[in-house]
Amino acid sequence: MEKKSLKGYLYLLPALIIILVFTIYPLIKAVLMSFYEGYSIINGSFDAIGLGNYKELFSDKVFRKALTNTSIYVVFVVPCSILLSLLIAVLLNSKIRCKGMFQTLFFLPYVTSVIAIGIVWSWIFNSNYGLLNYVLSWFGIEAVPWLNSPDYALMALIIFSIWKSMAFDILIFLAGLQTISPDLYNAARVDATPKWRVFLKITVPGISPMIAYAFIMGMINAFKVYNEVFSLFKSSAGPANSAITVVYYIYDKFYNSADYGVASAAAVVLFVIILALTMIQRAVSDKKTA
Amino acid sequence: MNEKKIKSSLGTILKYVVLIVGALFTLLPFVWMISSSLKSATEIVRVPPSLFPEEIQVVNYAKAWAAAPFGRYLINTVIITVFTTIGVLITTVLSAFAFSRLNFPGKKLVFSLFLATLMIPGEMLIITNFITITKLKWIDTYQAMIVPWLSNVFYIYLLTQFFMQVPETLYLAAKVDKCSDFKYMIKIMVPMNKSPITTIAILNIIGSWNSFLWPLLVTNSDEMRVLSNGLIRFQTEAGSSYELIMAASCILVMPIIIIYLFLRKYVIEGVAQSGIKG
Amino acid sequence: MKRRRIGAMLLTAALATGMLAGCGDNGSSGTGADEAANTAQPAESTDAAGTAEAESGDAQSDTAIEPCEITFWHAMSEQQEVTLTELTDQFNSENEYGIKVTLVNQGYYNDLSTKLTANAAADTLPDMAQAYNSWLIPYLDKVVHLDDFVANDYDNYDDIIESYRDECSQFGFIAAMPFNKSTYVYFYNKTLFDELGLSAPETWEDIKTVGEAFKTEKGMVSLGFDDMAGMLEASLRQNGGDYVTEEGAQFDNETGLETVSFIMDLYSNGYARLVGEDGYFSGPFSNQMIAAYIGSSTGVSYIDTSSGWELGVAPLPGNKEKAANQAGTNLVMFSQDENRQKAVWEYMKFLTSEEATVKWAMETGYLPVRTSAYESDTYQEFMKNDATATAAYAQADSFFSSPAFDGSYDIQSAVNAKLEELILNDADPETALSELVEAVNAETK
Repeated sequence: MEKKSLKGYLYLLPALIIILVFTIYPLIKAVLMSFYEGYSIINGSFDAIGLGNYKELFSDKVFRKALTNTSIYVVFVVPCSILLSLLIAVLLNSKIRCKGMFQTLFFLPYVTSVIAIGIVWSWIFNSNYGLLNYVLSWFGIEAVPWLNSPDYALMALIIFSIWKSMAFDILIFLAGLQTISPDLYNAARVDATPKWRVFLKITVPGISPMIAYAFIMGMINAFKVYNEVFSLFKSSAGPANSAITVVYYIYDKFYNSADYGVASAAAVVLFVIILALTMIQRAVSDKKTA
Repeated sequence: MNEKKIKSSLGTILKYVVLIVGALFTLLPFVWMISSSLKSATEIVRVPPSLFPEEIQVVNYAKAWAAAPFGRYLINTVIITVFTTIGVLITTVLSAFAFSRLNFPGKKLVFSLFLATLMIPGEMLIITNFITITKLKWIDTYQAMIVPWLSNVFYIYLLTQFFMQVPETLYLAAKVDKCSDFKYMIKIMVPMNKSPITTIAILNIIGSWNSFLWPLLVTNSDEMRVLSNGLIRFQTEAGSSYELIMAASCILVMPIIIIYLFLRKYVIEGVAQSGIKG
Repeated sequence: MKRRRIGAMLLTAALATGMLAGCGDNGSSGTGADEAANTAQPAESTDAAGTAEAESGDAQSDTAIEPCEITFWHAMSEQQEVTLTELTDQFNSENEYGIKVTLVNQGYYNDLSTKLTANAAADTLPDMAQAYNSWLIPYLDKVVHLDDFVANDYDNYDDIIESYRDECSQFGFIAAMPFNKSTYVYFYNKTLFDELGLSAPETWEDIKTVGEAFKTEKGMVSLGFDDMAGMLEASLRQNGGDYVTEEGAQFDNETGLETVSFIMDLYSNGYARLVGEDGYFSGPFSNQMIAAYIGSSTGVSYIDTSSGWELGVAPLPGNKEKAANQAGTNLVMFSQDENRQKAVWEYMKFLTSEEATVKWAMETGYLPVRTSAYESDTYQEFMKNDATATAAYAQADSFFSSPAFDGSYDIQSAVNAKLEELILNDADPETALSELVEAVNAETK
């Protein structure tokens, strides 16, 4: 690479201005808000500066529940979605009939409004007449109260979310597969390399930046899950709050309870968690490539 | 030889089985949405539910459409989507180029800062941004719905990943040819990355098209509202008209599917066609 | 050139920090209503009226209003919006001052609430809006006191249903005028009830009888509540008890235990069930999967009897007393301009007039806000064919509103979640009571 110069900033400037004004600045405000006790967003007044909001946050059982749920959610949704998407993307990229049709089909979940599709999924999960229980009954599995029981609510949310997030991952992987030079595959064919080896030695390294991307973005988005909860459980967080997530909690505290300080503190906690995990992930992947 | 053939045709069958099962899993909720949009209010809540409507109620679409001035909404949505998408593509290409090819002090720090902005839930930023827009006197204007969305770190990060894949040697060769950075970016990097750039365009179009809360927040007149604002009017404190919500959602989603079909070939024919000719 | 670029960046940064500072002093631009709200204690409401005078203008001496446009933010859709538009058109063409009201649909309630909060923060509230009391708490000092208007320029304030007046003045001053009001009623499947020789329950004992009959003879659940926290509050009041205040739970006593036992027994005996995945009971009720439920009177438009059964509507059953939840929003004035305030008041007077409230009620399924409207020939005639309106009217003297205060929203959602949990775990009444009390007190501290 060439010598360091400030030229890079010229290229960054348009994005930088927007981000400074519409993201960094409100972000700083949110961080400050988290230290103001009894803050009012209406007139900017507060009672004291301190860690009161954080104390209140961590003593709140609902927040701890939200944090646990969100962690479980991330652990299941992100890897499942990536693995399944990778499989589908590679198949979609191979020689098949009706390629265009299949590609369009797998893209559909991404374009549909989460509200409408959440309602549809709540029908699919319905304990009495839902499609899912009907299919499960073929295997002799008794009707599962997906949305009525705190034991299953989170699982239902996870299934719905995997369905929803696969489309994005497939799209990214498909775009990534295009950048792998066909020469590499041709060479492998000449050498009669087995398919699984081709996959591991050419395909995976070829789209590893996209996998890393899908992983980090999937994780960030999964930590911020909100709309899916809202739409699947019809404007609630599941039976007895059993599927509450951190952002659901933040939204509720901010817009419904007017508890701006606590909501901001929760957002800062979420921010720190995601930041730490992203740094670990990047450190690990840097080590691998080095 | 024969054994190999059997093996490979078994592989092909397996391939199709996986794809078809996956496609059904993907498609079913979508089919249900369309079929629900054609059911009567009575049928949609009936137990057990029917997969296909008894009597097709095209009138739901007319009803949903009549709930608000949708012609105007459509124009606004298109304007906002087009300008946001063009703007986002420009800022994204420039930033991704800077992060992947240029060397400048504090690069790692700025990149981390960019990434960090993704980690705070957008719900937290809304009110502060609303106050900013009010101070700029942008309430009820197009710029209020366009400007805040003109840069997107998700896309910058994505395109940076793709730009990094382009061999460094190409860049050095261009330098030898006295090709300026800007020209190199436009003439080589962009055409070589048609596929991810189109992907970003699609993602952004979907995002702008479906955005709901922000346009509602910064507009106060029907003349400035967007499609998604009108399509949500089927809820009261005692229940929802599901068949109208479904019809409305289908209306909202159709244009995007058409755009996707139109742009799909660019996503799929990435590097293969544009080549490395420069 | 490089320097200039850095300059531009610094400028942006400065701009950003400038805004930061700018927002900080946003609060000082608050209105004169600040003091009014602060001094307005519930006990001295007459005093509050006096304080409000300063900023609401002297409505009596000067009645001339300059022509102006006022904006009304609402959350009404479908038929409700149609009727609201008709009424507003009528007002716009008939009023003698040249006032023009512009209606702005701001989505559903939660969207409207978010918009109002954001605009309160930016100090750009509309002239008037629909709102629940609980939304107003963060920006109560921006709400115009209506006491003077009511005292000097209203035909007959006592004609407005008493519990609505109480709700609108619960902050110690008149903060709103009632508008789209509804109440909870008992919806039942009359066909099935007739078949079992039952009539709508009037007491808690009747509820149990009905529950047992449906359970043994039909294997059916016969009760559900769309709003769990509202149900607990109504039940406590029906039992002569109290629910919550700013100080915390008021039901940690014998009455509370009796009430909670009654509720928990309904579920453990299989008389009642949670709404769960159905969201609202109107769905399963339409499909005859539940024999009766308690929910908002406006829910009647979602009840579908086309599979061949007759709908019955009754007032809520009582125990020691009668008590029925009221719901729906009120009209709130935010305008700080004297002339516009008068214009808004003209419009509010119009919307709460007998004629307008009758039309509104008959076309939307909401309830009239005035006694005279209930008693009018038109509405009496309408009620003959409308079981819901009749049931609502029958309990009009036992309406109550839930108190709104800082934390009341949290209490409501905590109670909802806790009740669901207790019912799902089939908790015994003592545990249920103590956990409910604990959940409420955790929010009030």
